[in-house]
Amino acid sequence: MAATPALRVTGAAKRFGDREALAGVDLEVAPGEWLALLGPNGAGKTTLVRAVAGRVRLDAGSVALFGDEVGPLPRGDRSRLGVVPQEIALHPKLRARENLEHWGALLGVASGELGVRVGEALEWTGLADRADDLVASFSGGMKRRLNIACSLLHVPDVVLLDEPTVGVDPQSRARIWEMLAELRARGTAIVLTTHQLDEAQSVSDTIAILDHGRVIARGTLDDILRDTLGAGRGVELRIDGDVDAGAFGLEALGDGVYGARFTQLTTELPRLFERVAASGCTVVDVDVRRPSLQDAFIHLTGRELRE
Amino acid sequence: MNAIRALVLTDWKLLVRDRGALFLTFVLPPVFFAIFASIFGGMSGGDDGTFEPLRVVAIDADGTETSRAFLRALLEQEALVEAPLEAPAPTDLVGAASVVRRGDADAAVLVAKGFEASFARFWESPPRLEIVYDAANPISRFTLEGLAQASVFRAAPTALMDAGFDALEELGASTTPEQRDALDRLRVLIDGAREEGADAAADGDEPSGGAAMSSFVDVASVPATEYRAPGDGTDAASPGVVDYYAAAIGVMFLLFSMAGAAGSLLEEEERGTLERLLTSGIGLGPVLAGHFVFFALVGCAQLATMFAFGAVVFGMHLSDAQVVVGLLVVGATTAAAASAFALMLATACRTRAQLAGLSTVVILVMSALGGSMVPRFVMPAFMNSVSHFTFNGWALDGFQAVLWRRDPNGSMADLLGSVALPVAVLLLATVAFFVVARRLARRWETI
Repeated sequence: MAATPALRVTGAAKRFGDREALAGVDLEVAPGEWLALLGPNGAGKTTLVRAVAGRVRLDAGSVALFGDEVGPLPRGDRSRLGVVPQEIALHPKLRARENLEHWGALLGVASGELGVRVGEALEWTGLADRADDLVASFSGGMKRRLNIACSLLHVPDVVLLDEPTVGVDPQSRARIWEMLAELRARGTAIVLTTHQLDEAQSVSDTIAILDHGRVIARGTLDDILRDTLGAGRGVELRIDGDVDAGAFGLEALGDGVYGARFTQLTTELPRLFERVAASGCTVVDVDVRRPSLQDAFIHLTGRELRE
Repeated sequence: MNAIRALVLTDWKLLVRDRGALFLTFVLPPVFFAIFASIFGGMSGGDDGTFEPLRVVAIDADGTETSRAFLRALLEQEALVEAPLEAPAPTDLVGAASVVRRGDADAAVLVAKGFEASFARFWESPPRLEIVYDAANPISRFTLEGLAQASVFRAAPTALMDAGFDALEELGASTTPEQRDALDRLRVLIDGAREEGADAAADGDEPSGGAAMSSFVDVASVPATEYRAPGDGTDAASPGVVDYYAAAIGVMFLLFSMAGAAGSLLEEEERGTLERLLTSGIGLGPVLAGHFVFFALVGCAQLATMFAFGAVVFGMHLSDAQVVVGLLVVGATTAAAASAFALMLATACRTRAQLAGLSTVVILVMSALGGSMVPRFVMPAFMNSVSHFTFNGWALDGFQAVLWRRDPNGSMADLLGSVALPVAVLLLATVAFFVVARRLARRWETI
C-alpha cells in the first residue's frame, strides 16, 4: 500500500478578480520527497504555496497534510508544516538567539524544549558563535540561514521553501544546501520554489512546472525531458566552407556555426558528416548538448516575458 | 542652469503627486491658524458672544439690603453669569465647593454674615467675602476677585452714604428735612455717576483694582479642591497650572509615542515578519491584541514618568491615596484608549511615512482642540464644546476630576464616581478604536 502523501493538493482553484491564479492544481508530495516547484512569474506558485500555508482561501479544491485536510488558517492541524518565507522575516534589533526563541515560541515549541532546539538551530546554521549578536549586523547569507532555521524549530515533516538562496553568494548558497541536505537525511519532505533552475535540477528528486495556474509537467528530470523534448539531442557544428544549410536540415547560427537536432544521434550524426564532406566542406568542431531543465522549461512555457 | 531647472521641476512633480505633503504644506497651516484664531479670538472678542462667561454660585449669608445690592451688582457684570443649577442652590460654601468641584460652576462667592454691619466702618475690619474657585481655571479666581471689588463701587455708594448718615444720627447728630432732601438729590447724582462709571468699566477704561479698593472688602479665595469644611483640620495641596500641563502635555505625547510605536505594525508588514507571524497560525485578532496590551503598558509607564517628574521637579502633590488611585484609573484608561487609537491610525495607513503624516495632523489638531496646547478654561464656549469630540478633551476631563475637582472630604467612591463619565467614554472609545482597527486590518487576513 502506498504511503499517505505528505502533501496532497486536489483541484486547487483560486481567482483574484479577472485573473485566474490557480486553475485546478493537482499535486502530491511523498514523505521525504524533494519537489522543485517551478514556473514563470505569475504562474501561480506563490498562490499555491500560500494556499498550502493556509493564507489563501481556495475557491475550489483541497489541501491535505499527511492525509488530514487543512483549510485556510486557523482551520486544520499544520503542526507538521514549516513555511520558510522568501523575505528575511527576522527582527533585526533582536539577537540571533532571541529571534529563534521568539519564532520558536510562536511555532508552539514547549518552553522546556525551546532552549535545546535553539541551541541545535544555532549549530545547524553555523551561527553558534554569533548567537548573541544583533541580526542587523549579519551578512545576507547569515540572515538567510537564520531565516530558514526560524521556520523549522518545531521540526516539521514537510517544508515549503520559497527561494531559499536568492541574493546570497556561492559560499553561502553551498552552506544552505548542506543545511537542507541534513533535512533530507532526516526524511523531511520539501517543496522548493525557485527560479534557479540549475539548483532545482541538481537537488530535487522531482519537479513540477506550473504555468497559467496549472501543473503542466510533473516527474523526475528525465521524465520531463523525455515527455517534452524526447530522446533527441541538440548539436552545434562549426563548418568550414559554403554549406547549404537548408539542404542539410541545419539552422544557421552565424559565424560558421550551425545547429541541428537529432532523435537518433549515433546514426544520424555520422551520416551528416559524410554529406558535409561530400559537398566539399569540413566539420571542424561538434558540440553535442544534453537537454537541460532550462530547455524543457522554455519549451513548455515559451520565451515570452511574464511580468 | 538646466540642471537646477530639472531638479526644481522634478521636486514640483513629486510634491504635486504626494497628497500627504500637499496637505501638510498648504492645508494644515490654515487649519491650525483657524483653531488658534478661534481660541484666542474668542478670548479677546467678548462682544461677539463667543466668550463663555464665568458661571458663579452666589450665596448671601448676610441677608441684608447691602449684601443683596452687592450680589446684584456683581452678577450684572457681563463676564459673570449665575450658574444654572438643576439641584437647589447651595446655602453654604461646603455645598458650593462641591458644585465647583463637579464642574457645574467655575466659582462660588459667599457674602459673609456681618457684611452690612461692617460696611463703611473703615476703622474696623472690612466686610468679608469668601470665594471658592475651580483650580483648573485660575482665571475664574482673578476675574471674580476683581469684579467683586468693582461691584463694591457699583453697589455701595448710596449704602456708604446712608451708613455714614446713620452713623451720624446714632451719634446724636440728627438731620433736618432740608438735609434729607439734599441727601436724596446727592443720591441721584451718585447713581448717575455710578452708571457712567459702569459704562467706562465696560469700555475697559476703569483702572484695575489695587490695595485701596481691597480695603472696602476683604476677599478670601481658596481652590475648590483645597476647601475644607470649618473644623476640618486636614491638609490639602493646591493644584496649579503645572498640574494641568503635566496631564495636558502627557496626553499629547502619549498619543505621539503610541502612534510611533504602532508604526512597528507597518514595519512588520514591510519586513515580512507579520506574514510569518500570521503563517505560524497566530490570528490577526491576537496579533493586534498583543500590540494593544504592550502599547497600553508603555503608555501607562510614560504617564507615570510624567507625573513622577512633575512631583519631583515641580512639586506636584501626588501623595494622597485618592489622587494616586484616580491617576491610576484615568491614566490606565487613557493609555488603553491611546493604544487602540494608535492601532487604528496604523491600520488605516499603508506605510510608516503615511502614518507619520496622518498621526501628526490628527494628534496636533486634537491636542489643540482638546486642551493639550491651550488650557480649556481660556477657550470660548463653542471651542469647549468641540473639545468633547476629541480624545484629549475626555482624558483631560478625567485628570481634572482627580487633580483639581476632587472633594477633599469625599470618599474613594466619590472620586471614582467623579471620573466615571470620562473613564466610560474612554473605555468605549477604546473598544470602538480597536474594532475599527480590526476591520482595517482585514487586508492582512487570509484572502
